[in-house]
Amino acid sequence: MTGTRRGGRLRWLLAIGALVASGCGGPASSAPDPTAGTVVRVAAASDLRFALEEVADLVAREDPDVELAVTCGSSGQFVQQIGNGAPFDLFLSADLAYPEQLVEEGLAEADDVFAYGVGRLVLWVGEESPVDPGGGLAALADPAVRTVAVANPEHAPYGRAAVEALRAAGVWDVVESKLVLGENVSQAADFVRSGNADAGVVALSLALAPSAEAEGRWAEVPLELFRPLEQGGVVLAGARDPAAARAVRDVLLGEDGRAVLGSYGFSPAD
Amino acid sequence: MDWQAVAVSAQLALVTTLILLVLAVPLAGWLAFSRRRWTVAAEAVVALPLVLPPTVLGYYLLVAMGARSPVGRWWQELTGSTLAFSFSGLLVASVLSSLPFAVQPLLAAYGGVDGRLLEASAVLGRGWWGTLGRVALPLSRAGLATAAVLTFAHTVGEFGVVLMVGGNIPGVTRTASISVYDSVQAFDQVAAGRTSLLLLGFSLVVLTLTYTLQRRGGPGWARP
Amino acid sequence: MSGSLTVRVRRHVVDAELVVPLKGPPVTALFGPSGAGKTTLLRCVAGLERPDPGSVVVFGDELWSGDDRHVPARSRRVGLLFQDHALFPHLDVDANVAYGLRGVPRSLRGERVAEALATAGAGHLAGRRVRELSGGEAQRVALARALAPRPRLLLLDEPLSALDTPTRSRLRVDLREVLLRSGAPTLLVSHDRTEVLALADRVAVVVGGRVLQVGEPAEVFGRPADAAVARVVGVETAAPGVVRSRGDGVLGVEVGSGACRLTAVEVLGETAVGPGDQVLVCIRAEDVALELPGRAGPSSPRNHLPGTVTAVAVDGPLVRVDVDCGFPLAAYITRPAREELGLVPGSAVVASVKSPAVHLVPHPQ
Repeated sequence: MTGTRRGGRLRWLLAIGALVASGCGGPASSAPDPTAGTVVRVAAASDLRFALEEVADLVAREDPDVELAVTCGSSGQFVQQIGNGAPFDLFLSADLAYPEQLVEEGLAEADDVFAYGVGRLVLWVGEESPVDPGGGLAALADPAVRTVAVANPEHAPYGRAAVEALRAAGVWDVVESKLVLGENVSQAADFVRSGNADAGVVALSLALAPSAEAEGRWAEVPLELFRPLEQGGVVLAGARDPAAARAVRDVLLGEDGRAVLGSYGFSPAD
Repeated sequence: MDWQAVAVSAQLALVTTLILLVLAVPLAGWLAFSRRRWTVAAEAVVALPLVLPPTVLGYYLLVAMGARSPVGRWWQELTGSTLAFSFSGLLVASVLSSLPFAVQPLLAAYGGVDGRLLEASAVLGRGWWGTLGRVALPLSRAGLATAAVLTFAHTVGEFGVVLMVGGNIPGVTRTASISVYDSVQAFDQVAAGRTSLLLLGFSLVVLTLTYTLQRRGGPGWARP
Repeated sequence: MSGSLTVRVRRHVVDAELVVPLKGPPVTALFGPSGAGKTTLLRCVAGLERPDPGSVVVFGDELWSGDDRHVPARSRRVGLLFQDHALFPHLDVDANVAYGLRGVPRSLRGERVAEALATAGAGHLAGRRVRELSGGEAQRVALARALAPRPRLLLLDEPLSALDTPTRSRLRVDLREVLLRSGAPTLLVSHDRTEVLALADRVAVVVGGRVLQVGEPAEVFGRPADAAVARVVGVETAAPGVVRSRGDGVLGVEVGSGACRLTAVEVLGETAVGPGDQVLVCIRAEDVALELPGRAGPSSPRNHLPGTVTAVAVDGPLVRVDVDCGFPLAAYITRPAREELGLVPGSAVVASVKSPAVHLVPHPQ
């Protein structure tokens, strides 16, 4: 009878559903898999994206058991997320002030804060752009420049620095209306790379990335135009395996790590 | 091609769809057949995720589920990890955000069922659940299929809510849609292009499947 | 009061009172024009609608609807037949009929389904899909579905209205037999007088939401209580009779105590009645002509019934004359005619009725 057949089918569906939902702890369940080694979850400021790829290789060589899972974004956003309980082990910020803020909020120990370098700003233009970066920030005042990309100054340190530099260069009044805000500095850089913005004031480390080199031209923004981008990080109090997180930090701060950072334009930390 | 992200998307969509089908069948039934006047308000609440900007939904979800909230703290005590920025948190967000996509097709389909069949069922001794399960639901198969497909597809396509509530953690909350976003920021057009093409192809297949299912004749398969 | 269904219901247009005995001849019809509220009343008895406060529905000694109480339809154990079968399209015939058998052990269900289908004359339809059934077949299956759980009360809402005429007349005869066989007290809603005459043992005339008259069909159709009822039912003689002969296009019917023989015409397309069948003989008062006895010579009307006038009453432009010619016969004649014939109670008179005006409605007892 059709009636009972339908009832049977429903029971099957429920069984399958229960089976699948039981695997619903998620792809990477809370308990770490001992055979896979330790995963250190890193919240990294976007300007570190490419440098971190090379650092990850270093970590793989020095500590084969440790694996990096990197999420890039704006430093300010990460502070929010970590405050809301985001499960990161290591936070690498573009501004040392943020890790210090986390210590004040009780989300990390003061001892675990460390500086890893000083960042630099560049004026970056895409291949097709009418702008000549050699002209410096003043070139952005030209009417031929319609859109200028920067990271969102509300929560991205590179954005804040970019705005400072534009003001100091005396072109803020003209450029302000041309601004296109990226959610973090690498999104701002992507606007430039894709031609959607005529120019951008972004991180040197991004302009130096292998995938970006052929895509645009850049000129460094003079350091006196903005407060130094003192970049620092912290091992978070909620880290699952603090020892592993510290091991990663040590690699970053070690000789090879500093060399990598240097190659991406970071000056050594004071 | 970030297969890990695709797997996260697939699992999220599958489990969300199953959960929502179980929830939506009785919920839509209650909205369709209850005679109380305030079901109108309930219907409006169910439809909210359709009109709310995903960021607003994400914001409220973070407030409700974050580590500082009572729910978040309870979850942490229960499981040892946070609810926000976890797959479970994404599941909650997905279920809420896709709720109208599951409920509305079912609601429309139930509405198309001849009222006299429901009355006949009642007179023949069935209660509310019996009538729902043995008459209304079997005659609403198109609505159920549409609900399942739309929910699945909508979950795969979610971005704003997932980003806010999930945090883009690779292997855990980085879905395929976020992976595309991430690839673009990493200047990796190739990866972005591949994942996008996969998602596009998937959506086409899913939609074709739905419309094919809807064309089957027979009771319950009339287009809702 | 136990042993009847008592209904005192107010809802929408309906403000009606009705008492239906649950024993004895089982079928009670609610007869009236469309919109009179008959279906609303039926649905309140079924429990599908909740009457306004102050209403009461009592079945035997069970309170079904009262001020605080409303027993839902599923708990009343009634059977309901809709105008257009309302069979579940996604289930086959057997599953439909078995739908109400939840309380019956699985092993016995097949038997009950077969029994119900046989009772409804639908045994040959077992296993079929609903969409393959014709209107009449579907209605039989719906009847079987209503009967299978052995309901305590059967409710039929215009059960034959949606069918075409030949199917309707066939099913009408069968339905009467099914209802007698099932034995369950039945409430039937209809706006079709032939249906009511064929099926009902008792008629309640519902007009404008009110029950205006309750009684046996002969009584209600022959002697409407007031003008409102008369407007709805007309005036008609309805007397029980038995067919005695058939041939040459005419039927011979014995009426009343047996003293009277009437000739009726076989109507093509309607169900054939034959010798031995019980019928109701229905003659409209307008179709009865009255003559003074003594007229000689052949005339075309086949029926000449000598009798005595029992009552004379003026009804607008017409005069109603009741005649006893072995059974009570009502006639309408004009006022001048009455003057001319000088009819008063006690007058001898011969009633003439043309054969085509004698309607026979099969009505097994």
